[in-house]
Amino acid sequence: MTPRRHLFTVFRHTVLLLWTLVVLFPIGWMVMTSFKDSGDWVSWPARWVPFVDFEPTLLNYRQIFYFGGSTDTGALRREQTEQAYNIWKAAFDSVVIVTVSSVVSLLLGSTLAYAISRFRTGGKNYPYTILTIRMLPPIVVAIPMLIYFASLPEAFTWLVGRRVEFFDTYYGLTLLYIVTTLPYVIWMMLAFIDEVPRELEHAARLMGASRLTTIRKVVFPLVASGMAVTLLFVFILNWSEFLLALTLSQPKVLTLPVLLNKFQSAVEGRLYGPQAAIGTVVTIPVVVLGFLIQKHLVKGFSFGMIRR
Amino acid sequence: MSGVRLDAIVKTFGKTEAVRGVSLDIADGEFVVFVGPSGCGKTTTLNIIAGLESPTSGQVYIGADRVTDWEPRDRNLGMVFQSLALFPHVTVFDNIAFPLRIKRMRAAAVAERVRAVAATVKVSHLLDKKPGTLSGGEAQRVALARTIVVQPAVFLMDEPLSSLDAKLRVEMRTELKRLHASLGATFIYVTHDQAEAMTMADRIVVMHLGQVQQVGAPLAVYGDPANRFVAGFFGVPAMNFIDGELRGDGDALVFESPAVRLELKGGEPLAARPVTLGVRPEHVRLTRDASGGRATVSLLEPLGDETLVFLEYGGAGSLVAKVDAEEALAVGDRRGFTFRRDRIVFFDTETGERILRS
Repeated sequence: MTPRRHLFTVFRHTVLLLWTLVVLFPIGWMVMTSFKDSGDWVSWPARWVPFVDFEPTLLNYRQIFYFGGSTDTGALRREQTEQAYNIWKAAFDSVVIVTVSSVVSLLLGSTLAYAISRFRTGGKNYPYTILTIRMLPPIVVAIPMLIYFASLPEAFTWLVGRRVEFFDTYYGLTLLYIVTTLPYVIWMMLAFIDEVPRELEHAARLMGASRLTTIRKVVFPLVASGMAVTLLFVFILNWSEFLLALTLSQPKVLTLPVLLNKFQSAVEGRLYGPQAAIGTVVTIPVVVLGFLIQKHLVKGFSFGMIRR
Repeated sequence: MSGVRLDAIVKTFGKTEAVRGVSLDIADGEFVVFVGPSGCGKTTTLNIIAGLESPTSGQVYIGADRVTDWEPRDRNLGMVFQSLALFPHVTVFDNIAFPLRIKRMRAAAVAERVRAVAATVKVSHLLDKKPGTLSGGEAQRVALARTIVVQPAVFLMDEPLSSLDAKLRVEMRTELKRLHASLGATFIYVTHDQAEAMTMADRIVVMHLGQVQQVGAPLAVYGDPANRFVAGFFGVPAMNFIDGELRGDGDALVFESPAVRLELKGGEPLAARPVTLGVRPEHVRLTRDASGGRATVSLLEPLGDETLVFLEYGGAGSLVAKVDAEEALAVGDRRGFTFRRDRIVFFDTETGERILRS
């Protein structure tokens, strides 16, 4: 390596390292705050070093993971405010809604992408039409959706004689998440499926496989990496979705992002500690999934037999 | 085992007519090669037989059944693709086992069949590998094994050898021919390589512009071409074509062009008409005298056993002759030349159709 290139490498690493610090700082601060007691949250000058500047505590975590209604230990006295600190219900709601909607969206979107890729469904510009749906800011959709959610039960009563609620229900939000993420799935999967040579499918079909078997045994295994990446991408989108969940589904169905923003009390102001603890807990699945994505991204495609 | 019959197959893609009325009878157990330049409709025809495309009009019969509307999988066909289409995500074993598993054969029987077939095409040692790690020849054999394993009545092959290097291609030709003999199935093979067609086919189907130009045994197509296209497509180097005029006065036929004048025996009286004379390089002879015409040697291409001689003879382009390598020739030599009379063919200059075909 020439000295000049060496110097450039050092420079590049320095810049990247600094940028990493900038990016990681808020996350680090959040994690640190989650271990601080109420007095240390907003004290000035800031308390930086654990065990020196402040004594780390698990109090925030004990609060958010606390089972049951009232407290029996003095350490948990803050429970007595009006706030619901407990994240179990919201975690359950989030996991159910996000998992179901992401998986359904992936399967539905993949088959739709297959149709568009192989049969030119909807014509040449159809994928772009789908994409324009995503150009709408969610806030534009949220209020009209609220109106639909309010009037659909009446429509159902009138049509089938049975009232079907959408507002503040599991399937209401799940349905909405499926619809809003479908364009992403279609677009991502379209790119992957277009890469699968048609001759592979022709071969499978000549060997006796039906269309569905061909998709299941040949196409989907070949785009498995792509499906994993897409699933995780959509999962993260839904996992952190706030606006629709806030407008269309609380208080009975409550997802983590909505819960996260409820942490204020008239008595104590903003409860940064528990909020930071929840933020940290919510981030963990995303980080874990992120590492899984990385593996798949690196693996990429291995279409050994394609000659172009 | 069954033959294949095509009845007036037409296929259009938008405004382009890929196949324009192809009718053909392929006998049970025959090795038929579709040959033609790219875009001639041969692959489309094959895909129609396979059921991967449906014809715009016309019917396809396999054996006694009209299969035009049948799914590919119901037609009892095996197909080898140009890209081979091996499944890259599973092993060679799983590739060969794929059609058997689709048919829900028991695992033990599958393993037995796969091993047996792998042995016949000599890929037994590759069963645990992924297709991506195979060489071109190995992948070729695996693709064949996967097709053979279900013992289809009809094999379709779409330029399966085009990705191999020249030497391997020649070897595989021999092997395919041997395979055809041992299986006794009907082979329908598509290629743009006239040498492949000549060496393997029982019958050649020459296609051009979506139409069948000629159907016949390799030597018949080579020696007795139906039109100028077929004549020009087969043979390396290509047949020599000389434009001129043909007339007959009852006693003799006279071909006359600025550079060449030929008198041929017999024939009926014939009004003068523009024709193209065709003669293959191996039927051009160099002479000491100038009974046919005179020409100057402009280029020599020794092939080893024979030498190609390019002659400036006064007509358009060069006349190519294939002569014995022993012949002492040098660029610039003046020589006379004649054609083997019984091998000369004539085409209508306008339509390209063969005329005076005996």
